[in-house]
Amino acid sequence: MLELRIAGRDFGQPVLGEVFATIERGDRICLLGPSGIGKTTLLNAIAGLDKSVPDEAVIGRDKLRVGYLFQEHRLLPWRSLDANLKLVGASDQEAESLLEQVGLSGYGHYLPDQLSLGMARRAALARCLAVKPDLLLLDEPFASLDPVMAGELKTLIAGILDSCPKMAMICVTHDGGDAEILANRLWYLDGKPARLQWDDALAEPGLVDGLLGRLRDLALPGS
Amino acid sequence: MKGQAGRPPLWSYWVVLPSFVLLWGLIAWLLQSPLLPTPLNVLDTLIRESATGELWHHLGATLGRVVVAFILAMIIGTAIGIVMGRSPTTNALFDPLLVLLLNLPALVTIILMYVWFGLVEVAAVMAVVINKVPNVAVTVREGARSLDYRLEEMATVYEFTRWQRLREVWVPQLFPYLMAATRGGLALIWKIVLVVELLGRSSGVGFQLHMAFQVFDVAAILAYSLAFIAVVQLIELAILQPLERRSSRWRQPEAAHA
Repeated sequence: MLELRIAGRDFGQPVLGEVFATIERGDRICLLGPSGIGKTTLLNAIAGLDKSVPDEAVIGRDKLRVGYLFQEHRLLPWRSLDANLKLVGASDQEAESLLEQVGLSGYGHYLPDQLSLGMARRAALARCLAVKPDLLLLDEPFASLDPVMAGELKTLIAGILDSCPKMAMICVTHDGGDAEILANRLWYLDGKPARLQWDDALAEPGLVDGLLGRLRDLALPGS
Repeated sequence: MKGQAGRPPLWSYWVVLPSFVLLWGLIAWLLQSPLLPTPLNVLDTLIRESATGELWHHLGATLGRVVVAFILAMIIGTAIGIVMGRSPTTNALFDPLLVLLLNLPALVTIILMYVWFGLVEVAAVMAVVINKVPNVAVTVREGARSLDYRLEEMATVYEFTRWQRLREVWVPQLFPYLMAATRGGLALIWKIVLVVELLGRSSGVGFQLHMAFQVFDVAAILAYSLAFIAVVQLIELAILQPLERRSSRWRQPEAAHA
């Protein structure tokens, strides 16, 4: 579905090294790695937001619909939730049912900044789904949420993944536990410049911790 | 908000201006000179001019020019400001020209327009537009530079059309800058329009001031000036302030919610 041939990315100094990978429909990838290593940089490159990464480096993206859950909600603060969803192509009814799906029914007329952090993130997730994405990109979806809200959101996302078996997902996270629940494939980004150190299918529960443990034991170059 | 707690009492707005009018009346009454009419004289002139229809005719002519020049200047200036704010190369190319135009005296533009194109309406309005466009462009450029890159990225991911990007993402962010340009613009434009009328038109408040100046009719000068100040204030109260309140509602979510 999608093939990455990213040659690298500099911000004055090299951050991202070569990244080669293919993503198939139904892949649920958790992208793990130390903070500041370039996980969001890679996600932006895949989404086509990085102008210095040529389009040819992400083969097949032009045919895909992408939903991107940023770390901030990035809803238009001057538009209601309904209007935000309709702007990306949802009909009245779709907007209503999407909000219901993320547990925000009745909040359609609210402005994004009237919501709590957790609610705003769920509203932003509804917008991701409104484009009926082939590829769902999640940038630390559980960051700065309290454990209860994070747990609810995790259940919600897991449910969405189950109901869309053809959708692919890449989720940036620090937490191996997230990968246990959400992922069927694990990427580990590390090194200087950062490369995918590990790209593995996750078949059985408990594997993530094992993998992460082994990765920590390895002396990775530059880390 | 800090300013809300220290809001001044209502009467404080109504002290200086009335006192000033009283003082003016007193001095005029003491001097008894035709060069300084009393407030009542001015009011009298205002009523007389208004009754003959002269006032409305000239006020309308000036207002028409202000509106046309204002709309043109805002459209052209906003477009230039957005392009210059978004593209560093374009900015570098045209910035020297912008600085030149900003420092060009209004009077020079007016004279040149009349000399090159004759004493016609188009030349008059163009002179005003040329004077105002650089101010609008500079203000809007500031806004275009500060557009939130996070919303830009969002608009890219969700494939907003150009029109959606302009209308939904840029204009709301540029709104405070557009309002600043509008405020400053209205005040500047109507003053330039008066000069344009004084130099080369046979209608409008500027023209009337010119006639009154030739016969030292100070009462008429003050009457026409006050009438137009009132019109501009009316525009501010009836159009600009409600517009600003409506468009900044989203900034106070709790107020919008109530």
